[in-house]
Amino acid sequence: MKKIILHFITIICLFLLIDRILGVGLGYLYRQSNATDEYKISYTVESTNASMLFMGSSRCLHHYVPSIIEKELGIDCFNAGDWGIKNIYYYYGLLSNILNRYTPKVIVLEIHPSEWLKLPFSGVERAGSLAPYCGMSEGCDEMLKLTGNYYSYYISTVYRYTGSLPNLLLGKWGAMDRNLKGWKPLDGAMDTTGVKAEEYPFPIDQERIRLLERFIKDCKQKNIHLIIIVSPMYACSKEDVFKIPRELASKNNIPFIDHYRDSSFVGHPDLFYDFGHLNRKGAEVYSKKVCKELNSNL
Amino acid sequence: MFLLLSSYWFYSQIDIKMTLLLVILTLVFWLLGRGVAYYLDKEDEKRAAIVTNVGVVIGIGALFYFKYLNFFAESVTSFASLFNIHLSWTALHLVVPVGLSFFTFKLMSYVLDIYHGKILPEKNAINFANYIAFFPTILSGPIDRPKPFLKQMNQTRLFNPDNFLIGFRRVLWGMFLKMCVADRLDIYVSAIFNNYEHHSTISIIFASLLYPLQMYADFGGYSEMAIGVALILGFQVAENFKRPFFSTDISEYWRRWHISLTSWLTDYIFLPLNIKFRRFGIQGTMLAIIINMLFVGLWHGANWTFFVFGLYHGSLFIPLLLSGHLNKKKEIKNRTNICSFFVLVTKIASTYFLVTIGQFIFRAPSLSDAYAIIFHSFNSWNGNLFYDMPTLINAIICLIVLFYVDIKEEWFTPKGANQLRWTKPYQVDLILCLEIICILLFGVFDNNQFIYFQF
Repeated sequence: MKKIILHFITIICLFLLIDRILGVGLGYLYRQSNATDEYKISYTVESTNASMLFMGSSRCLHHYVPSIIEKELGIDCFNAGDWGIKNIYYYYGLLSNILNRYTPKVIVLEIHPSEWLKLPFSGVERAGSLAPYCGMSEGCDEMLKLTGNYYSYYISTVYRYTGSLPNLLLGKWGAMDRNLKGWKPLDGAMDTTGVKAEEYPFPIDQERIRLLERFIKDCKQKNIHLIIIVSPMYACSKEDVFKIPRELASKNNIPFIDHYRDSSFVGHPDLFYDFGHLNRKGAEVYSKKVCKELNSNL
Repeated sequence: MFLLLSSYWFYSQIDIKMTLLLVILTLVFWLLGRGVAYYLDKEDEKRAAIVTNVGVVIGIGALFYFKYLNFFAESVTSFASLFNIHLSWTALHLVVPVGLSFFTFKLMSYVLDIYHGKILPEKNAINFANYIAFFPTILSGPIDRPKPFLKQMNQTRLFNPDNFLIGFRRVLWGMFLKMCVADRLDIYVSAIFNNYEHHSTISIIFASLLYPLQMYADFGGYSEMAIGVALILGFQVAENFKRPFFSTDISEYWRRWHISLTSWLTDYIFLPLNIKFRRFGIQGTMLAIIINMLFVGLWHGANWTFFVFGLYHGSLFIPLLLSGHLNKKKEIKNRTNICSFFVLVTKIASTYFLVTIGQFIFRAPSLSDAYAIIFHSFNSWNGNLFYDMPTLINAIICLIVLFYVDIKEEWFTPKGANQLRWTKPYQVDLILCLEIICILLFGVFDNNQFIYFQF
């Protein structure tokens, strides 16, 4: 028995030592990486001082061109949108980390039904992308606790980077152009065969709505000018998909810009990459268009 | 008693209603075992045979009712409809008890072994119940034989630190196989097969070639964990895999893949059939092999894909049988000779290819799905290979580790070598620690389903 105890003590000590050393190396690679996930999160949390931040999922990542918006509005901005059907759990954790370091003047939140509906393919696990920042802020830790992995992340630094080693190694050669300030353009026009409007037959999730309200409240407390926005889709649902965030925005006196059914984009395949994402040309046209509204809401 | 309660508690966490069935079947077979022994003692062979057959009927009956009844009835009604005979069958909503195929085989082998004089009946019902419900193996095997297990139950087990460490290492290795190899490959393989309409022939072929490795890592990983936990508890249970992808022909493959099932079926199905068909010569052996392989296929579930899988593998034995190569040991001694090494690699690769075709059928939800994928593949030669680079790189790194360990054990480790693989204590600790780090770094943590749980 003594032999086993000795073995286990040695294994635990070795584990803690190797885990911490490897964790430092992985953290370094994480900050250097240009791969979309790693770059977007590390740059947003640790580096950007942009006055205007765009937050959201892939539709944010591909739709807002910072260079155009900066030129039109004369305000420095960064697109912090990230792909992978991210949702309010992730945005709240990310916001909390950002506010831990600096306070942007304006946050534009591109919204999607995953912010208030119980989507089976986008749940609390999305906040797991923030694992490398475990312990950075209360809000981030709260979201990581909801994923059920908070204590595992705390014990093991390596676990925070699980599955991301190829991205960390390959990402050094770049998947994103840092000069584009977070925008990731999509090249090509969409194939319209069999395209239907996306429907959302999912129940309302009160927990997500509460988080969305906390997001609004935290921005208000820090005097951040929050704008909720919806960019165009190629095909639209007949339902009033964005009723809940519209009501929420009106209740909190927040501007709500809705381009979901914008006829200059809907049904124009030359402006889209796929049914939910604008291509490079579409993003540039849309960014120019949205500037005027952003300006009037500032 | 504590072990038994733990096993029942474990099983009840997965399937509380079926725990009662498990207890009842255990009790019935324990009594049947006593009955067989009682009549054998009285030299009443006839009654002993009747009691044994009752056990076999109960075992097969339980399997048939829960797993095959709907399939059988639906097959009969659709077959009858071909002749304009209209039968109707309302499918029963049956929940198959988890691990049913594994524990019914254990139950049947117990009465059969008593009848054949291989073992004496277990006097202690708790020991017997422990054999059936032993929690590391009840869900997905290995299917232990009663003799070695009950012998261990009746011995005093002393804590053995070496066995404990070996067990711990095997649990970690199993976790590595499951989480880092199988689940990582599953991301790619499922992405292709679940949306095959959107993928090219080359992508489907690549995913098909990866699938046997995924299966090996998934089921082999579970087996390693089960064997490891058993060792930690002081039990040695049957081995289930012996580096199957080093097989040079299909018969060797089946001696290395799911060993506890194939050896069970060999002993209780193939050998009796082979003896029965002896008078038909080589055709009799062929028939026995094909029937045996059909059992292997259908053991996995009630689906025509498993029937075709069994038939396919059975038919692969025919050339071996006709050429007289079946069960011949083909040790290629000089691997340093380039020519013989090339022959060896070619044989290994061709066996792997044959296995891949079988696994392709095995994975398809139905025969029409398998046909649809093949049909689609013939029309999509122009597309590019789909690759999700991060997933594939993660999987490739872990596959390199798996191949390194398997090649080392297959070709460079003498038989009976230290199972811990290293002799110095610090080496053991360091390697165990690195295995934990590897699992944390490369593992997939949100896929907790084992493929073989469904069987």
